[in-house]
Amino acid sequence: MGSILNITFFVSLFAGMIRLATPILLPALGQIYTQRAGILNLGVEGTMLMGAICGFIGACVTQNLWFGFLCGILAGMIYSLIMAWLSITMRANQVIAGIGMNILASGLASFIYRLVFGIRALPAKITSFQSLKIPVLGDIPYIGTIFFQHNILVYLTFILVPITWFILERTTYGLKIKAVGENPRAADSKGIDVARIRYSAVLVGGAYAGAGGAFMTIAYLNTFTEKVIGGFGYIAVSVVIFASFQPVRAMFGAMLFGLASALQLRLQAHGVGIPSQLLLMLPYLMTIIALVIASGKAVFPSAYTIPYSRMER
Amino acid sequence: MNEKTRKTAINAFGTICMILIALILGGILVYLTGNSPFEAYGAMLRGAFSSPQRISELFVKLIPILLMAFGVSIAYKAQLWNIGAEGQFIMSSIAATAVALYINIPIPVRFILSFIASLAAGALYAGLAGYLRNRFGANEVITTMMLNSIASYFLMYLVNGPMQDPTTDLSQSPLVPESMFFARLIGNYRLHIGIFILLAVTIMMCFFWKSSVGYRINLIGQGEMVATYAGINVKQTVMTTMMISGAFAGLAGWIETFGIQHRILDGIAADYGNISTIIALLGSLNVYGIIASACFFSVLLCGGASMQRMTEVPYSVVNVIQGLIIILVIARNMFADRLPQVSHKEKKG
Amino acid sequence: MDDQCVVEMRGITKIFNGVKANDNVDFFLKKRSIHGLLGENGAGKTTLMNILYGLYQQEEGEIFINGKKEDISSPLKAISIGIGMVHQHFMLARPLTVTENVMLGKKSRRGILLDTNQTSNELKALSDKYQMDIDPNSKIWQLSVGEQQRVEILTAIYMGAEILILDEPTAVLTPQETESFFETLRQMRQDGKSIILITHKLEEIISIVDEVTVLRDGKMVGRRTMDASVTKDDLCRMMVGRNVLFDFPPAETEPGEIKFSIRNISVKNDKGVQALQNFSLDIRRGEIVGLAGVDGNGQKELCEILTGLRPAESGTLQLDGKDVTNRTPNYYIKQHISHIPEDRQTIGLALNWNLKNNLIIKQLGKGPFTRKGFIEEKLVDQNWEKARDAYQIKAIDGNELARSLSGGNQQKLILARELSLDPHVLVANQPTRGLDVRASEYVRGQILKARNSGTAVLLVSADLEEILQLSDRIAVIYDGQLMGILPRGADPMDIGALMMGKKQEVHD
Repeated sequence: MGSILNITFFVSLFAGMIRLATPILLPALGQIYTQRAGILNLGVEGTMLMGAICGFIGACVTQNLWFGFLCGILAGMIYSLIMAWLSITMRANQVIAGIGMNILASGLASFIYRLVFGIRALPAKITSFQSLKIPVLGDIPYIGTIFFQHNILVYLTFILVPITWFILERTTYGLKIKAVGENPRAADSKGIDVARIRYSAVLVGGAYAGAGGAFMTIAYLNTFTEKVIGGFGYIAVSVVIFASFQPVRAMFGAMLFGLASALQLRLQAHGVGIPSQLLLMLPYLMTIIALVIASGKAVFPSAYTIPYSRMER
Repeated sequence: MNEKTRKTAINAFGTICMILIALILGGILVYLTGNSPFEAYGAMLRGAFSSPQRISELFVKLIPILLMAFGVSIAYKAQLWNIGAEGQFIMSSIAATAVALYINIPIPVRFILSFIASLAAGALYAGLAGYLRNRFGANEVITTMMLNSIASYFLMYLVNGPMQDPTTDLSQSPLVPESMFFARLIGNYRLHIGIFILLAVTIMMCFFWKSSVGYRINLIGQGEMVATYAGINVKQTVMTTMMISGAFAGLAGWIETFGIQHRILDGIAADYGNISTIIALLGSLNVYGIIASACFFSVLLCGGASMQRMTEVPYSVVNVIQGLIIILVIARNMFADRLPQVSHKEKKG
Repeated sequence: MDDQCVVEMRGITKIFNGVKANDNVDFFLKKRSIHGLLGENGAGKTTLMNILYGLYQQEEGEIFINGKKEDISSPLKAISIGIGMVHQHFMLARPLTVTENVMLGKKSRRGILLDTNQTSNELKALSDKYQMDIDPNSKIWQLSVGEQQRVEILTAIYMGAEILILDEPTAVLTPQETESFFETLRQMRQDGKSIILITHKLEEIISIVDEVTVLRDGKMVGRRTMDASVTKDDLCRMMVGRNVLFDFPPAETEPGEIKFSIRNISVKNDKGVQALQNFSLDIRRGEIVGLAGVDGNGQKELCEILTGLRPAESGTLQLDGKDVTNRTPNYYIKQHISHIPEDRQTIGLALNWNLKNNLIIKQLGKGPFTRKGFIEEKLVDQNWEKARDAYQIKAIDGNELARSLSGGNQQKLILARELSLDPHVLVANQPTRGLDVRASEYVRGQILKARNSGTAVLLVSADLEEILQLSDRIAVIYDGQLMGILPRGADPMDIGALMMGKKQEVHD
């Protein structure tokens, strides 16, 4: 084990950490909007799946990766509309609604794949984004490799971190989201349309989730399988809770998971003594630990998972 | 009694409407694949009912899904969202097989021990999530879901490693001793004596909610504040409920191990976890509703597999129908009258 | 009327569920004055002001603001014509700052970006002007309750309120905060603002108010200019004083020995404010101790402590001399302590359960309804029928859901259950709140019956008449402290005074 712990290993490991943090960070950023508005959307997993399949098809059919990415985002938004309708208008139990969305998505995504690609011996593949080396910065020894030699979507995701922060803290929209999640009655009394803000927050979350799913198929695995999301949606929701709903902390949380995944891959590749399946457990185990640590301390928005209805006294 | 039966009838009618809508939407999807919906559903029905063997398969499928649906329904009634039936099933199968293969005691005793180990594995695995919720406020949906994945990988590890059958390359364990196989009922058909266990459990469930324990679990689902006021120890009851729920999945695992699979292998839990959740919710957490739903799903699943073989319609249509059913059922406001619990903390008024 | 009036409300009538919450009420507010609106719980003060603020619309009557007739259809309309209201329950988002809360209510001058700095500065200037000492960048949860209240007032003024309605503002303040609060009010009056102070506290009326309007049972019973000639007794008489009818026959038995002993109980409430301070009280067998006091003076916390729903921070409870401090709810239930909770619907009943089952929620373990681990439906049915007949619960059958019952019948259901448990102690918290006259009389009769059969009863009520009708001894709670204990037949005005915080003169 000691023989592999050289500088090359660590550089590769941290580069992998950045790359593998992306599919968690992207949906997590979107979920920050949703959860802060008071909605627990466990349907992220299913939404990501829809983004994955639609993004993949979009990219395959037009041979244009960006078009595929856009398809993924759109698919995510449309699919999350269902969740918004169930939890805001129908005021259903958000937990069940989310689970239902995931079940539906797993069937729908497989079905769409079959419909478009038919039965094949080998799964469809695409050529993904090339790695984009940032000039000058990318040439810095070690640091350059870790941070500045990724594909464009990775850069995009990390840039969204400060942007998310800005929107939440410095715009009227961000303020309204926070108010609605905290004290919808007070927000209502100030003339804010609680339902409309919540709908938008769910759709934003859906867009990010769709983007995250599309990332998996067009910028990571370069193919589509039923298990392509593999629990990342749930992990994203947990990361948001663990990060106390803040973008910068979510970034570090996602990087932690990215590190775990990257570590698991490399240890497996190096044939280290630990069986691969046990290593694969790592992200899920970490999620449980994160929840255990964070749930007690996390200050949830006061109206979390509680549907709002204006009632006269 | 009339008011009650009237309400149940309306509820059932509504549920059937939802199922029909889902089937119609599914039919549209079938049409999109270039096949006739009627042919597809016809193939499904034939696949389910066309021969005595096929019908016995319906019961074979019914055993695990109904048991697990009962189990999760108990938790859901208490507003404990146990999504971990799949993981609990896996752990119990592992425990059952491990005892059968490695504990060298006389077969009858081994049999009983495997039963205890199985149920305990399921119960404790679910109890873990209950403990994490009680002590740390960890959301049980996510924890049970993560535990599912962990159990799944654990199984993979075992069947590719320490518990792998040395004689093959496949990801499976050796067979358990033949003397521990459940007896088959009808000649060659796979239907085994586990069906009697299911029957016994079903009868028991008909009385479960009338029991003292059942009432108390039900009251917790009404609201932790009322339950506390009424003198119930909420945390303890949460643990008990999760463990009972897990034990049901454990029982299903034990039965499947000795009745059908006779070993553990990758993918034994199939889709059972999600399906048990859908069945429980579709049946409005009511025992008879759950039985009816489970029967319907048994037909859907067995028929669906046949449909895929006999026509060109992909099995994923069945998954879509499942998903549609649950969305429609939720939209029907079946749970809107239950105040959603903020599970991480007790909210004080 | 006086053309100096900024607000004229004439003939206002508001009906809720067939009950007249406001009955032909006239209310006039002069410019540059602080006007007190006085009355007991349920007199109609908050309703009247909610109408002025546009939260409710009146059935009859007209409103004139600065001489112009207005139809105040919503709070936004009220704000636009210069009326601001600070409610008892603050409309603030706790993790946000003061400035952020204010910005929620108005358009930003920078489009989609927040105009935080500008708003902050303006708020600071305003706060300084009225000596409110508020840092606009502090988060709400960091502020004391008094400061939060000032934030609400500041917000109202910032939004342009010239007419301010304050609903029981000092209910949550310490005496020191109250003093500085009054200073702020005087400053605002100086500045030309007109203020309405809804209150039940006599000292406030005396010390700060220019004029007072008194409501009782939805009607206006008096309006006075507060000069030296108006005394607390005058106010009390207007507020409380009709002849109280002692309908119920005198006690059949004498109270026995001390059953439940509460000693030096102290506890903080959920917001961290001291709710009970060294509270002590004894309750004897066969006695009704009435605990009089306006809502929010520690009664809720006391009842929770007595039934195991909240731990006391210090002090002891003794039952028959045995220490029973801080046990589980189940323990108290087993000791035959019955509890009619204030919050009927969230705590006292499982609304989605049927009536039969609600009667036995405290007996789901081993007990009279269990046989071999199962709940015997036949026994439950019989129990329901007995209760229905004995308490005249209006319901079609026991399978109805509890949520479908009227408030009065829900309370009867709870009563039936609690009294059927053979209570040695009965803690009844606001047992007739929201009930009509008939239901109220019935409930009170049942409580008396319990007393006559030897139960030690603690009757907690904000309804003075109820306390007077039923109590053998009357204790008064104010600000978490025991103000005094008066015997049956005591002068309502003495009780009323204690309820408002006036210290008891030593009688015996």
